[in-house]
Amino acid sequence: MVDVCIIGSGAGGSPIAYELANAGFDVVVLEKGANYTEDDFTKDEIGVTRRDMFTPPLSEQKHIINEYQADGTFTRYDGEESGWSFWNGSMVGGSSNLMSGYFHRLKPNDFKLKSVYGVIKGANVVDWPISYEELEPYYDKVEKVVGVSGKIVKHKHLEPRSSEDLPYPELQTNGAVQWFDRTCKALGYEAIPTPRAILSQNALGRNGCYYSNFCGSYGCASGAKGSGRAALLQKCSAKIITDAFVYRLESDDKKVTRAYYYTKKGIRHSVQAKIFVVAAQAIETSRLLLNSKNRYFPNGLANSSGEVGKNLIFSAGGSGSGRFVFEKLTPQQQKELMEVGVFFNRSLQDWYAYEKETKQYKGGTIDFLFEHQNIISRVMREVYDENGNLLWGEKLKEKLHKRLTTSRVLTFEVFNDWLPTDKCFVGVDEKVKDKYGVPVGVINLYGHPHDLAVGEHLAQKAVKVLEKLGCEEISYSISSAPPPNLVAGGCRFGNDAKTSVLDKNCKAHDLQNLYVADASFMPTGGSVPYTWSIYANSFRVADVIKKELQG
Amino acid sequence: MTFSRRNFLKAGFLSSAVFLMDGCSLFGVTTPIKTFAILHHDLFPYAQELGIDTALYMQRVFHHSRISEADKTFLKNGVKWLNEEALSQYKKEYTKLSLAQREALLLHVSKTEWGESFVYDVMNYMFEAMLGDPVYGGNNKEAGWQWLNFQGGQPRPQKAYM
Repeated sequence: MVDVCIIGSGAGGSPIAYELANAGFDVVVLEKGANYTEDDFTKDEIGVTRRDMFTPPLSEQKHIINEYQADGTFTRYDGEESGWSFWNGSMVGGSSNLMSGYFHRLKPNDFKLKSVYGVIKGANVVDWPISYEELEPYYDKVEKVVGVSGKIVKHKHLEPRSSEDLPYPELQTNGAVQWFDRTCKALGYEAIPTPRAILSQNALGRNGCYYSNFCGSYGCASGAKGSGRAALLQKCSAKIITDAFVYRLESDDKKVTRAYYYTKKGIRHSVQAKIFVVAAQAIETSRLLLNSKNRYFPNGLANSSGEVGKNLIFSAGGSGSGRFVFEKLTPQQQKELMEVGVFFNRSLQDWYAYEKETKQYKGGTIDFLFEHQNIISRVMREVYDENGNLLWGEKLKEKLHKRLTTSRVLTFEVFNDWLPTDKCFVGVDEKVKDKYGVPVGVINLYGHPHDLAVGEHLAQKAVKVLEKLGCEEISYSISSAPPPNLVAGGCRFGNDAKTSVLDKNCKAHDLQNLYVADASFMPTGGSVPYTWSIYANSFRVADVIKKELQG
Repeated sequence: MTFSRRNFLKAGFLSSAVFLMDGCSLFGVTTPIKTFAILHHDLFPYAQELGIDTALYMQRVFHHSRISEADKTFLKNGVKWLNEEALSQYKKEYTKLSLAQREALLLHVSKTEWGESFVYDVMNYMFEAMLGDPVYGGNNKEAGWQWLNFQGGQPRPQKAYM
C-alpha cells in the first residue's frame, strides 16, 4: 500500500505529487495518457492542432452533450458524431502542457460573490468557505515554484500580494505593444502586462523561453512553460504510471480502499493507498465518482449530498479581433508589427467590477494577444469572399498573399464568471460506453443570460481599444459556447455536507481519505483562466494531506 | 504493421475505379486520385508553380487514423458526385472537361450544400499539404511557407503523425 494515490497528473495532481514525494512519502500517480519529453513537443500544426494527437480519438472515448434550448428542452449531441470534444490533453502533466499560461489570480471578492453582489435569480452563487487571504501564500508559492514572469503594475483592481513583484522579468514583447499602451492611456484604461507561467530566463533547472512563435495549444520544447510536468513532476520521485485509465474507486462506508484502472489493452490493475486524490479535470472527476457508486454510496462515491457533478462551470465571455493593415502604418511600424515570436502580453482588468445603471456588477478580464500563428488555419479563414462565396485560383492567391504578408490580427479574449446553475451539470450515460466499457460522461450545458450581459459590456470596451488603435474588420462574439479547456465545478467545496461535496480542505465530506484537487472544488469560477488557482489550491491541499500523513 | 486485407483495400482506394452511373446505366469510370489532382490544380494552380504536389497528400488523408470514416466517406462521395454532375452537364467526367467547363462546374457545385462542403474540405487538405510541415510530403522545401513569409516553428517534427 502506498501513502498517496493521485488520479490525474495535470495542474491539480502535480503539486500534490511534488509536495508529498519531496516530503518523503510514497506517491503513485495514475495517468491515462502517455509521457512526452521536451523533444516530443514539435511545432507540427497538422499533428498537434488538426489531428489532435494529444487527446483521445472520439471514436474511442467521447461525451454525450445536452445543450439547453430556449424552449426548455435539451438538444442531445453524441461527441463522436458531432465532433464535439471536451478533451484537453491526455498526457503526463495534462493540459497544462498545452496552456498559453495566462496567469491571473482570483481577487478577494471572487471568494464571496454572494455576500458582495447578492443573489442572482436562476444561479446558485455561494461564498467560498475560504478567503483570498488563505489562498494568497499559495499563489505566491506558485510564482516561485512553477515560475511566473511579468511585472506587477498597480491598478484599481490589483489584488493584495505578499511579494512585491513577480520573480521573473517580463517576456519580450512586440513593438505594437507600445501603440497599445499609448492608446489605453489615451482612453483612460490601465493596460497591464499579462503575467505568464513562462520563464523569461533560465531558472529552476529549466530553460527560458526561446520564442518559438507556437506557445498555446503546443507543448513547450524548452521547459520554459510551467506545465505540471516540467515544473513539478520531473522534480520529484513520485511514481507515474502512464496508460492507466482509472474507472472505479472502491470504498467501504468510511474510506476509499482501491483505485482500479485499465491499460489501453484492457488489462485491469489496482492500487491501494492510504489517501486518494482525484484530479482528472472537472468533467472526468465527477464521472469517476458517479461511476464508482456502491452499496454505501448508491448515488455515486462521496455523493450523499447529491451534489456530485452539479454546478459545472466554464469561463463565460468570448473573443474578438481587429486587423492592423500596412496601409495605415509607417514602414518602421510595419516591420515592428510583423516581428514574430515575441508576445503581445497585455490585459485589462479595469472592469473587474463595474457599475451600470446604479447596479454593481462583477465584471472580468480582457487579455490581448496576436492571432495564433497556425498558418493552415489562418489561410482557411480567408477562403470565403465578403459575400460568403468560396474563393479559389488567382483571386484566392492574391488575397492570401496580401492578407498574410501585409496585415496582422490582434485578438482579445474576455473572461467573466460562468454562473453556476441547476441546468449545467455532469452525469453519466448508462447506455453509451467508451472503449473500456465504462459509461461515458454526460455534459449538460446552460449559460446564464447574466453571463452574456457582462461579456458584452467587456467586449465593447475591448472594441474601443481596437478602434482607437486603427484596426480594421473589428468583430467579436460573446456566447454561451463553453470553452472545453476552461472547466471547473462539479464537486463544490463548502462547510455544509448537505449542500457541498468537499469540505474546505477539498476532502470529501463523506469519506476520510478522499480528496479532489482539480478545479472541481470551485463553487464559482472568478473571471480569469483557472490554472493558477488550481495550482495554488492544490499546493494548499498538499499541506493538509502532509499534516494528515505526518499524524 | 501487419499487411491486412483491410489495409490493402484502403491503400488501393485512391487509384481504384469509381463507377459513375447516369441514372441506372454505367456511364464512366475514373479514379479519385485523377480527380483530386485536377481539382487541386483548378483550385490553387500556384501550388504546382511552387513545385508542391498536393494530390499525393490525399493518400495520407485516406490512411489517417484520426480522420473519421464519415469524413473519408464524404470525400469519396464528393468525387463521385462531382463527376456525376460533370456527366449530367457535359457528358464527360470531370478530368476530361476543358478548363472553362471545370470552372463553370465548380462555380455551380460550390453553391450547393454538398458542393460547398466538399470544395471546402478539399481545399482544407490541399492547404495542409501545401503549408504543413514538409515531413508530410507536400510543402516542397518549404516553398509554401516562403511564399507567405512564414518560418515554421522549432523544433520541427521528425516524422508525420498518422
